[in-house]
Amino acid sequence: MSKTTPQIKEVNCETGEEIVRDATSAEIAQMEIDKANEAARKAEEESKATAKAALLSKLGITAEEAVLLLS
Amino acid sequence: MAKQTFTTGQVLTAAQMTSLQQTAMLGGAASAKTASYTLVAADAGTAISMSNVSATTITVNTALFAAGDTVQITNLGAGVCTITAGTATVNTSASLALAQYESGTLYFTSTSAAIFIKGAGAAAASGGMTLINSGGTTLTGASVSISSIPATYNNLQLWVLNFKPANDGENLSVRFNDDSSSVYKNETGTGTNMNMNNDRLYMSRGQDNTVAQGFSYLEIWNYANTTSWRVSQITAWGNNETTSTNGNWLDYAGVYASTGTAINKITILPTGGNFTSGTAYLYGVK
Repeated sequence: MSKTTPQIKEVNCETGEEIVRDATSAEIAQMEIDKANEAARKAEEESKATAKAALLSKLGITAEEAVLLLS
Repeated sequence: MAKQTFTTGQVLTAAQMTSLQQTAMLGGAASAKTASYTLVAADAGTAISMSNVSATTITVNTALFAAGDTVQITNLGAGVCTITAGTATVNTSASLALAQYESGTLYFTSTSAAIFIKGAGAAAASGGMTLINSGGTTLTGASVSISSIPATYNNLQLWVLNFKPANDGENLSVRFNDDSSSVYKNETGTGTNMNMNNDRLYMSRGQDNTVAQGFSYLEIWNYANTTSWRVSQITAWGNNETTSTNGNWLDYAGVYASTGTAINKITILPTGGNFTSGTAYLYGVK
């Protein structure tokens, strides 16, 4: 299976020129960094959500009841 | 219809009568120009439109028009169109420069002098908005950049309609000036001692990859200043990635904690994969 190069679109407001080009190697490297960072961010979010659900369960209240409690 | 001298017994055609009627009713098609232009005698009594992304001029010379002649000029292009006195004199109480969608009338007081009466236009006066990326930009590929953003506005507004990622549940996000370092933060409510640990601003909270009916809004205040952080408001609703008839919502205060350079480039990108569709409109706000 062939791997396609990510495409980058650029619009210049001054000239109105619009181009679509292959991503450079630096841009592809940045995409890999972004991918890892996003995975870490999502994992952290999921971890927080799991911890929150566990705490609510331990307290025996719903999320809505927790909001009410803190309002 | 260009001004002409009619003679006794001359027969007018239906097309000429229609054109005369349009002129009398201040309508009719404008003579479309796409490059700088010097007025000719036949332009008397007609309308001229200019369309160019770069600056253009309309030059006015003597001995072509009579007192009482008028020429309507409208600028449709993003580049400023300036009425320029060639050999004739052109006076105005306003500006001779027409920004996009501005219009004015040259009224000749003699064969060698004209007054330019500038009308109200749709270009941004105080409180107005101007679409910077003419026609909007379709979101495709891995990212879309809008560059050479003029520094002439107070604020920028970015509207993204119907963003659809190739991968289910990806977020819409933006970066400024190709800066992918951790100098961004998205937060709700209040906070203290916040760590700038985001490498972008988020403009959606997940998005379905089959149905796209969402709207994401970002306003960046004082984007061209170079001495303080650029603060923004982000509001968005999009289709939930599991149940697309349900909505995902966000309302962030965003910050780009960087100084030194005006924001002149915005890169729009999904948090992973490619765009399937969507349209971005970048407005300058005065």
